Amino acid sequence: MPDTLPTRRPSPSRPLWRPLDPDVRAGARAMAPMLVAYAPFGLLVGAAVAASANPLAAWLSTWTIYGGAAHLAVLDVLAHGSGWIAAATVGLLVNARLTAYATAMAPAWRSAPLRHRVVAALLLTDAPWALAHNRPSGYRRFYLGAGLTLFFAWPALVTLGMLTGDLLGTVPVADLLPALTLGALVVGQLRHRPAAFAVTAASVSAVATAPLSSGTSLMVAAAVGATAGVLGERAS
Amino acid sequence: MRVLLAVLVVGAGSLLLRLAPLLGADRLPDRLPRIAGWAGLSVLAAFTVRAVLGHHDPAVPGAPVLAALAVAGGLFLAFRGRSLLFAVAAGTACYLVLSAAVSALT
Repeated sequence: MPDTLPTRRPSPSRPLWRPLDPDVRAGARAMAPMLVAYAPFGLLVGAAVAASANPLAAWLSTWTIYGGAAHLAVLDVLAHGSGWIAAATVGLLVNARLTAYATAMAPAWRSAPLRHRVVAALLLTDAPWALAHNRPSGYRRFYLGAGLTLFFAWPALVTLGMLTGDLLGTVPVADLLPALTLGALVVGQLRHRPAAFAVTAASVSAVATAPLSSGTSLMVAAAVGATAGVLGERAS
Repeated sequence: MRVLLAVLVVGAGSLLLRLAPLLGADRLPDRLPRIAGWAGLSVLAAFTVRAVLGHHDPAVPGAPVLAALAVAGGLFLAFRGRSLLFAVAAGTACYLVLSAAVSALT
């Protein structure tokens, strides 16, 4: 078992979008079960969107904010009477993690045309990144299949949540499903020593910074985990 | 107006956060994406831990502890190679059984 994760190579210059491409289909298939687990979370976000002061604006931002945690955080801050600057700051802090994802997958897109990079950026959020992370071949097309599946399904779930309201607010397990889903993607990589270092350190950091806001806590965990991952690489 | 401004700023900012590293992919130092990969995994782990710690269930005393046990069980199954759906379903079922048992006992 190697102690370092496989190096991702840029895909050869095949067309990015071919729906019948095996890698695109594999990405879509990998995303499908995640949608089941994400459904309650999407419905919760939809309920928050419907309850906001401007549901249309909040709904349209589903595609641009494109992250349930940031979306909920922004709407929650606004619902408590704070101004738009405070809400925007919280939302951007929560979404700051996207820079880490984009940086991590940048080598795979170095040879890609500009429009492909823009598409990759539009589709980027936790699940497609985590699913495609460390995929040794067909990375771009797999990512595209996973990302497009979520890009169409997530707004559909949010819209459904707007229509059905806060039905799931009383289901206590709904907030655990995204955690279980993303956690299940992470634990598969714990056999690599640096990944285990990073995840352990970040988990301890998350416990220690639990009283802080979500965005701040996640940024601290990212810094602590990245440092531990680098140290783990050196120790391997 | 507050909602519109907030979501516009967060939407544009989020897009920039995603786009900038990909547009500048050619100029990134070779080591940086690797470090960012550890940071990304760390964020996902922290997200999971925070969700468990922040779990709230008014009907069940000690809900975060039960959530931690249930999530740990589900993640263990995922670590052992079970499918994502199986692991999530097992973790969820575990929480429901544990919370029902605790509620019955208290």
